[in-house]
Amino acid sequence: MRADVIVVGAGPAGLASATRLAEAGRQVLLLARGNGFTHWGAGAVDVLGRVGGEPVERPLAAIDRLPDGHPYRLTGEAAVREGLDWFSRFAGAAGLAHAGDPDRNRRQVTAFGTLRQTCLLPEPAAGEGLGGRVAVVSFAGFRDFSPALCALGLRRAGIDATPASAPVPAWDHDRYFTAVELARAIDDADFRRRLAPGLARAVAGADVAVVPAVLGLRRGHEPWADLQSLVGTPLVEAATAPPSIPGVRLFAAYRARLDTLGVRWQFGFPAIGVERDGDRVTAVRSEGASRVVVTRCQELVLATGGVAGNGIEANRDGTLTEKVAGLPVGLASSEPGRSEGRMAFVGARFLGDHPLGAAGVQVDAELRPVDASGEPVLANVRFVGGLLAGHDPTVEGSREGVALATAARVASLLAATPVR
Amino acid sequence: METDVVVVGGGVTGAAVLRDLALRGVNAVLVERFDLGTGTSGRWHGLLHSGARYAVRDQESARECIEENTTLRRIAPHTIEDIGGLFVLLPGDDEAYAGQFVEGCRASGIATEELSAAAAHRREPLLAPDVRLAFAVPDGGIDSWALLRSMRADAEARGCQVLVRHPMVGVERTGDRITAVRVHDAVAGQDRTIGCQWVVNAAGAWAGEVGRMAGVPLTMIAGKGVMVVMASRYVRGVVNACRKPADGDIIVPQHEVAILGTTSEQVPSADDISVPPADVDRMIDMCAQMVPAIASGRVLRAFAGSRPLYQPEAPAGDGQAESGDTREVSRTFTVLDHASRDGLDNMYSIVGGKLTTCRQMAEAVVDRLAERMGVTEPCRTATEVLPGAGHGPHRVAAPLAKVERDQAYGELICECELVTRGQVRDAVADGLTELEDLRRAVRLGYGPCQAAFCAWRAAGLLAEAQPPEGSGEPPSGAPDPLAGLERFLEERWRGQQATIWGDQARQALLNHAIYRGIFDLQGAGAPDEAAAANQTPTEPGSGDPTRRVGDELIGDSEGRTSSRPGGG
Repeated sequence: MRADVIVVGAGPAGLASATRLAEAGRQVLLLARGNGFTHWGAGAVDVLGRVGGEPVERPLAAIDRLPDGHPYRLTGEAAVREGLDWFSRFAGAAGLAHAGDPDRNRRQVTAFGTLRQTCLLPEPAAGEGLGGRVAVVSFAGFRDFSPALCALGLRRAGIDATPASAPVPAWDHDRYFTAVELARAIDDADFRRRLAPGLARAVAGADVAVVPAVLGLRRGHEPWADLQSLVGTPLVEAATAPPSIPGVRLFAAYRARLDTLGVRWQFGFPAIGVERDGDRVTAVRSEGASRVVVTRCQELVLATGGVAGNGIEANRDGTLTEKVAGLPVGLASSEPGRSEGRMAFVGARFLGDHPLGAAGVQVDAELRPVDASGEPVLANVRFVGGLLAGHDPTVEGSREGVALATAARVASLLAATPVR
Repeated sequence: METDVVVVGGGVTGAAVLRDLALRGVNAVLVERFDLGTGTSGRWHGLLHSGARYAVRDQESARECIEENTTLRRIAPHTIEDIGGLFVLLPGDDEAYAGQFVEGCRASGIATEELSAAAAHRREPLLAPDVRLAFAVPDGGIDSWALLRSMRADAEARGCQVLVRHPMVGVERTGDRITAVRVHDAVAGQDRTIGCQWVVNAAGAWAGEVGRMAGVPLTMIAGKGVMVVMASRYVRGVVNACRKPADGDIIVPQHEVAILGTTSEQVPSADDISVPPADVDRMIDMCAQMVPAIASGRVLRAFAGSRPLYQPEAPAGDGQAESGDTREVSRTFTVLDHASRDGLDNMYSIVGGKLTTCRQMAEAVVDRLAERMGVTEPCRTATEVLPGAGHGPHRVAAPLAKVERDQAYGELICECELVTRGQVRDAVADGLTELEDLRRAVRLGYGPCQAAFCAWRAAGLLAEAQPPEGSGEPPSGAPDPLAGLERFLEERWRGQQATIWGDQARQALLNHAIYRGIFDLQGAGAPDEAAAANQTPTEPGSGDPTRRVGDELIGDSEGRTSSRPGGG
């Protein structure tokens, strides 16, 4: 098999990279093991929430305070801004309009009643400045959102929140159901008409209602807007545990866009290695249905994620390995390929920081992997997203921003490369 | 508060003593510094001994084990997985030892059946291909928390009382008698005095500290054992190496996991339950000799427990205590009458022993006490079955069958361990004050995801149990679901740090992305830098600033250093 550009990974960075490269005229093959952090994230666009543990209000202005080697320092602020602008246009065109401003962080309400720092928010989650009387409502039989817990957290944040429960109309389903099942049901206009009266009673007297992010799966933000008008009270979707329904919506939008652009897509077939000729990768090996498939390529973009995303293997002996190109990886505190033992992987507190979360591949300003002296070791391979060294996407709240900024950089670099 | 007998220590021994007293009509109160089963009774591999492990070297222990194995199957079948066990002979193992083993079992009254390699593989398909021979023995699995719950329920139904989170802090003495035990109510934050006629020290590995508070010398050896939890069972029954007991020679399937054991190392304090990563590696490598699939398996966590080994008073420098390996110390038990031994008139200690023999230990000490008290009721603990026994032996697939058969059985809160909403609600209604206790009550958070999904669902149920209005601060005495959740997560984390690689590394970072990333829990405000600076590789969590948070409430934590001595 043959491809012009192979993108490996279907998380936020791989999806954006594949889309943008296709828009830039490249023939793209997307290889993915499975879903990524669209599904496991909070369903918003985090750009930079914290630096050194301190909350950041102006994410782009804070890039200067990041250490050398951080992905944003490599791409520059312009690529971050351009990446976010592109995303806003893309999401808006897909019926998933996002609110927010790259120059100012916003707060996203979560199922714990915490107000997490983020930047761009899907409109159903964008009810900034929750004020007045807030009803926190779940749907009877949905176990993955506790109005009592969310209201408790909101009250601690000084918000007048009260828990409530709305009945779910009879539907062709079990007594208990998942977020995906409920969201799919809410796609149906008739179901929404039957759901709305009970929800309206549950939120009666409130100025705004916080609900779990389950208002529709496949029809963009239309089910949310429709239900909101039927209920007559603003509805704000709170971030829930995985799978993220807003993330599933976004994934579906990318998939539709990639289909339109003619991108080939192999899902469930992980890349397991590369073939090289000197400093160039000539082909990618991936698991096929019954054999290893070798696909030749001109350019390779690796968006396989860090340890969490399965792009990097953490080994029992304390070493780390990048799983497709086989590059050595180090913790921030150690040289690539060197081990201080696996106890150096993690911190003492679960809710603290873990060196493993920031493990990644060192790259140059063109996102090519480099050796200890800073020289590129592979000329035609670019690394994007969570796979990059120098940042912990969870701790600093930068996952989607880094994905979009590095995808922007790759698109500009490779659009300029003539097809051979 | 007044009672006849104060029992110190909420492990299986203390609970068995309390139940024995209750069955003889004696009024008694048990005090425990944390929750029941947070010491050695909750930190072991779950083996219902046949006694075969001791048949060559310690036949007194072996005989005690097989006798109590039979008794427990009768009185507490619902806590037991009747899965049997094998001792397997590998290439390089000494055949002469196998001969001694069979003879020792015969002499101790333990039935053995020799299996050919082919028969052993039919029974345990994942055994190493080079297993030469195996002996089947009546080992089993036992759930110590289920046993504790049953013994507690029986004792409470008969008028005795259990005070958890009440560490003993001292005694009041008049001459040669203890007149009261002083305890600290860790939830209310105040000391209490329990007037009593008698004291039974059942604090296990911590018995020496109770002795010190009572003013009597009592030397326990802390024999640390490290165990590793695998994400699935691998074996149908217990698998032991047929050789002199050594590191990594046993695999015990328990509920949905398998536990690999164990090391044996003398440590200065029973509170030293740190897990060196090298010990984890050794357990895996050794047990993989018996079941090779373990080498590439998913490791959930590792923990250590402290064997309650008794050191009879001896000249300094004498005995095996110097050797570092505590396997040579007998696993039988001893009743100490402090009246004849130390001139303290009304205290007994019950030391040594093992979980399998806890009922027999209780009988031995309560017999002595009853005689002094003039209580003539005989011991009935070997014949009276425990509450719940009617359910019959525990079968690992039973909860799954219930869930599959009947949706009304319950909405799952924890998919890994099949914990239902109703089970959690019942536990809350029973007065549960700490999310962490759900772990022992219903096994919440034990499975492969290590509480990624169940802990916050359970926290939600705790929140629902609170009055909806108010400032957001929980009413006095009510659990704070968010703070309890953070304690729960940190406790789970302490057992994972030495086992973070491969799939479990991904799981840990996903969990971190959920709790810190999505739910925005930033921890109890303790600076990460301080935690990182204080971290030492072999003592996960020591020096951790959050260790102080809830220290008095949970206690079940790797590497903890006791800030408050007393009860087990």
